[in-house]
Parts: sequence; C-alpha cells; structure tokens
Amino acid sequence: MLPRVLLCGEIEYVQDECKKMFHGIAEVIHLVSDSRSHFLSSFGPGGPYEGTVALYRRNTSSEVVGKFDAPLIHALADTSMVRWIAQSGGGYDEIDVQACKERGILVSNTPRANEDATATATLYLMLSCLRHFSMAERSLRSGTWKTPFNAAQTHDVTGRTLGILGLGGIGLRFAHLAHAFPMRIIYFSRRKAESAPDWCEYVSSVEELCKQADILSLHVPLNPSTVGMIGEKEIGTLQRGSVLLNTSRGRIMDQEAMIRALEDGHLSSVGLDVYPDEPRVDPRLLTFPRCTLLPHIGGESAEAWRTRELQALGNLRAFVLGGVGEDIVPELRTVIGNSTTL
Amino acid sequence: MSSRQPRILICGDLVWAHEEARQLFDGLADIVVMDSPNRADFLAGLKTRERYDGIVGIYRHNISADRIGVFDEEIIDALAETGTVKWIAHNGAGYDQIDVFRCAKKGISVSNTPGAVNDATATTALYLVISCLRNYAWGEQSLRQGTFKSVLNPGRAHDVTGRTLGILGLGGIGLRLAHLVHAFPMRVVYYSRNRSANAPEWCEYVDSVEGLCRESDVLSLHVPLRDETVHLVGEKEIRAMKKGSIIVNTARGKVVDEEAMIRALADGHLSSVGLDVYPNEPLVNPRLLEFPQNVLLPHMGTENQDSQRRMEVRALTNLRDFLRDGQGNDLVPELRSKL
Repeated sequence: MLPRVLLCGEIEYVQDECKKMFHGIAEVIHLVSDSRSHFLSSFGPGGPYEGTVALYRRNTSSEVVGKFDAPLIHALADTSMVRWIAQSGGGYDEIDVQACKERGILVSNTPRANEDATATATLYLMLSCLRHFSMAERSLRSGTWKTPFNAAQTHDVTGRTLGILGLGGIGLRFAHLAHAFPMRIIYFSRRKAESAPDWCEYVSSVEELCKQADILSLHVPLNPSTVGMIGEKEIGTLQRGSVLLNTSRGRIMDQEAMIRALEDGHLSSVGLDVYPDEPRVDPRLLTFPRCTLLPHIGGESAEAWRTRELQALGNLRAFVLGGVGEDIVPELRTVIGNSTTL
Repeated sequence: MSSRQPRILICGDLVWAHEEARQLFDGLADIVVMDSPNRADFLAGLKTRERYDGIVGIYRHNISADRIGVFDEEIIDALAETGTVKWIAHNGAGYDQIDVFRCAKKGISVSNTPGAVNDATATTALYLVISCLRNYAWGEQSLRQGTFKSVLNPGRAHDVTGRTLGILGLGGIGLRLAHLVHAFPMRVVYYSRNRSANAPEWCEYVDSVEGLCRESDVLSLHVPLRDETVHLVGEKEIRAMKKGSIIVNTARGKVVDEEAMIRALADGHLSSVGLDVYPNEPLVNPRLLEFPQNVLLPHMGTENQDSQRRMEVRALTNLRDFLRDGQGNDLVPELRSKL
C-alpha cells in the first residue's frame, strides 16, 4: 500500500500537477474532519487518515482543526506516522516548531514563493502612504473628487530613507524595488547580511533603524522573539510624521501603541497587509483616512499561488521518496545535519 | 517707457515658492498677483493698463482657469495687445490649456515644466499598474466594507514581474516609468512618433500604436493632448489588445475613447483600468465606478509637496531666465522652430 499524504487545506491551482507528482508514489487524501477532535482521532488503525506520513498545510485549515500547537503536534507524534509538515506559505507561525523538534517531526515552508509578490505589496503600500493615493481613491468613489487631499502633506518616494527590519528574501527584494527610485536603504537584521548589496546600509540596532528611517518596513517572521518587537519605545523613536509598513505578521507590532501614534499624529500613516487577529480588522484603523489597508493579499497572485503550491508539494514528494525535503524551516535545520540543503 | 522695473504676473497662486520668487526676481521685476474673480475683469484689467500694466511675463498655473478660463485666443490676443507680454511660463507638463499656436502668431513664447513632473507622475503610473494587476484597490474596498478578502479571486491577480508594459510616448515620464518597472523586471515595449535616442536597449521599439497594443499586458499612456492625440486609443486599438489587458492613463483623459474603454470593461476585454485623468474633470463617468477592479485617482499625478515646490521654482526660473537672458530653458516643442 502506498504511503499517504494528507491535504490540510485544498490545492487550488495545481491539481493536475499534484496528481502527476504523486502518481505511484503516494496516495493523496483530503481533510474530511469538521472538528479538531475528529482530526486528532483519525490517524489510527481504521481511521480516515491511517497510513499518512506527511501533511500539506494551509492556514485556512485552522478554521476546522485549529492551529498546529503543541497538543496537536503531540497527538500527531503519538498516534500517527506523520513526520513531515509542508506549510504552504512563507509564514509558519501557526505551527509550534519547538514541539515538532522535540517529537521528531520536520517542517518545511515555501520561503521564496511569496518574495516577489509580497515585496510588490510592500512597495504599493509605501507609495500609497507617502502620496495618499488610497485616500484619494476613496474620495473619488464617494463623489468628493480630491477634496480631502492636501498635497502639502504628501511626499516623493525618491530620496527618502527606507528602514528595513529583517533583510531576508522579502526585505531584500523590496529594497531592490525601492532602490530604483532611488531611496536610501538602511536595515537591521540579527546578523549583518553578507550578501547585501553595498547600497544597503547596516545599522546596529532597531533603535538606530527607527531614528533614521522616514519609512519603517517589517520583514521579520513572527516567532516568540519577535512578538511585539515594534512597540511604544520603537514607534516613539521614529521621527514624527513617519510611515510604518507591515506585510509580515500583525503581532510583530504592538497594535495599541501604533493606534495611539496615529491618533496623535506621530505616525502620519500606516500601510498594512496583516493584522493581529485576521480576518478581524480593528475598526479604529478605518478611522485614519491616510492609511492603506490590504486584506492579507500580499502573496496573492495567480503565479505566487502556483509557485507556493508546487514548492510545498515538492517538499512533500522529496520527503516521501527520500526521507527529506528542501526548505526545512531554520529552527529545525540543525536536526538533520550536513545532508540537508540549506 | 516707465522708469520702474518691468512686472511679472502670478496667474494661479504660488503655494511653496514665495521666497524663491522674491529671490529670483530681486532687482529684475516686480511681482503682481492676478486677483481678478472672472475673465471679464481680467480682460478689462489688461486693457485699462492699471492693475496689470507693464507686465512682461506671466507665471501660469491651471488653477487660474477656475476664475478666468483657459488661455484661449481671446486671452492670448488681449495679452498681445498690451504690447509688453512676451513670455508665459506655464507650471505643468501638460499645457493644453494654452493656445500655443496663437501665442506663436502673436510673438509670445511659452515654456512648461517638463522634467519636474516626471518622477511624481511616473510614480503615480506605477501605483496604478501595480494596483490594477494585483486588484489592490478592490482588496482595500472589500476590507473596508467588512468582507476582508472574501470577494477576491486570486486567479485574477497577477505578478508585475514578467508582464509586458507598453508605453505610448517615451518622453520623460514614460522613460521614468520604464526605469521603475525595469526593476522587477517587466518587459518594456514602446511606441513614439520617432524612435527614442535616449531609450535603453531593454526598451523595445514597436512601429505602430496598434502593434504596441497587441504586445502589451498593460498599456500606459504618456503622450501630451493635442489634436492628433485625441482618441489615439480607440475601439480599434483597444480590441487589438489581448483579452484581460489593462489600460493606465496618467496623461489626459481625451487620449482614450472613453466609451470604447467602458464597452471593453463591460465585456471583459479589459480586465481593469487605472486612471488619474478623465475627459471632463472633475466629472467622472459613473459607469467607471461600477467596476470594483478599476483604480481611479482624482488627477493627482504630480501633486506632492516636493514636486509642487520644484515645479513652481522651475516655472519661475524659466520666467527669470527670459527676463535676464532673453530666453527660458523649457520653451515648448511647438515653438522651438517658430521663434
């Protein structure tokens, strides 16, 4: 009997490729659970997911089974043969990777699949915040042409200083697009990026980044060390009138501190694609007309979708065939050792 | 002849460059502000040689049309009749509100501010390109209406990278936009009346408007409005585009046949349009609003603090150079061979 691969969340764009990829290699089965408890009890003998060795996971599955927190990971480890979770998407904060590490389950994500799309979304947010485009559009659609628009408060992109928090794939791609204007690019990462171009200036602290940036853009993953990383102190260190952009995860920012700063004008606007508790959007955010708010569609293009799905499925296939896939998340790379592609 | 300094007229209030204006004209000319509430008063003022006496040059902004109308034959002739007005320094890249041929006939030079708008306008066009391809305006509308992203179909959204941008008119603004999208990169194709000597080798020349339309996923318009460019993009050109294409217009509304464009939106031939300009501003055809995927800006292409200041200074400098040296830098193309 072929090993089984369970799709926790449907494949939207590459169903045919999926069939071809696993033909003769694994049986692809679908999530039939309508509750967490059903999910957790279905991997054993006679259960619908018996024989599953690996999972494809989308964040939408949390609506049914909840997040992949420690209890769920423990249940998988104890009652199933699942030893690989292939997350579709760059962010894997809904999986407790520490619990996976402890119980011998590996996790992969799709790091590069969203880079271009997300960097493009960030660029869009920056243009809109600096030039108040989104506000002007809404004014036009409500019949007031450009009445609320005050050009005196808007700015060119060219020549301004962009501060990037986290110069990973997305941060670097965004820097590249911004550099075309050009903007002055400064960044802070835990480690200075060896491969950063010479026009990306390293600064030695988050505080220094905030001091110098006209626009601060967040490109760090959400994990226990980055929750609330941008809070009262950091926002206060930004110059008055600065712009804050977030296309990473809502909880990297202290939302209350951000809203206070919008209320008193310390932040002139924010450009967001992510929120602490999606799909809920704090209604206060809608009261600041200059803000640009996208509903977490930074990675949503037909092309990014295909790439993401193919990459995640590819990780699964490699695991089924050879015991290891690519794109193991950074926290778990040391588990494997030298045979793993980093 | 009066012994006092010549005078220049500010026709359309300065917002930023008051200090620069004082410095530029110090010792050269006195500054008079046009304060007529309507055309009749303005014309009378020119004729009676009181308030507007001794004017040799005019700084003009389109905002003045709200009060005295555009610089058509009637106004040009009245300016010419003063015997003193010799230069109109227009603030703006588009100068279709000035009858430049009448000016030529009457011996009045006209300058505009070509370079100063390039960056700001190209940035606006870039915003429209991204928003149309990725359905961002639609996404934000959906969020603000409380439906987050549930109304969106990701299959309708496309990456910028790898798509083809067709530029109609590779002047300063078109070239700047080409540069910004080249960072992704988009493939850039263009049509101009003449092949551009400045064009980088990655800007591919196409030898007709229709040919340009056939190649483009996104068509962006960057031609000035003249008699020969009205409805330059019409039914034929739109239908030559691929199904699902996008039109972006930051030039002038009348360059596109709006009815043809709306028909193509209605039957899905165009997936969306991104507009900063309309044929009859500030009126916006309500049919455009029926398509949530359209990205519609209220003609703000050049407007931000930094570019506005630069444009004012550039126009004033053209005027100062005329006074001081007899010639301003940015004489409009139509007049370069004539004067």
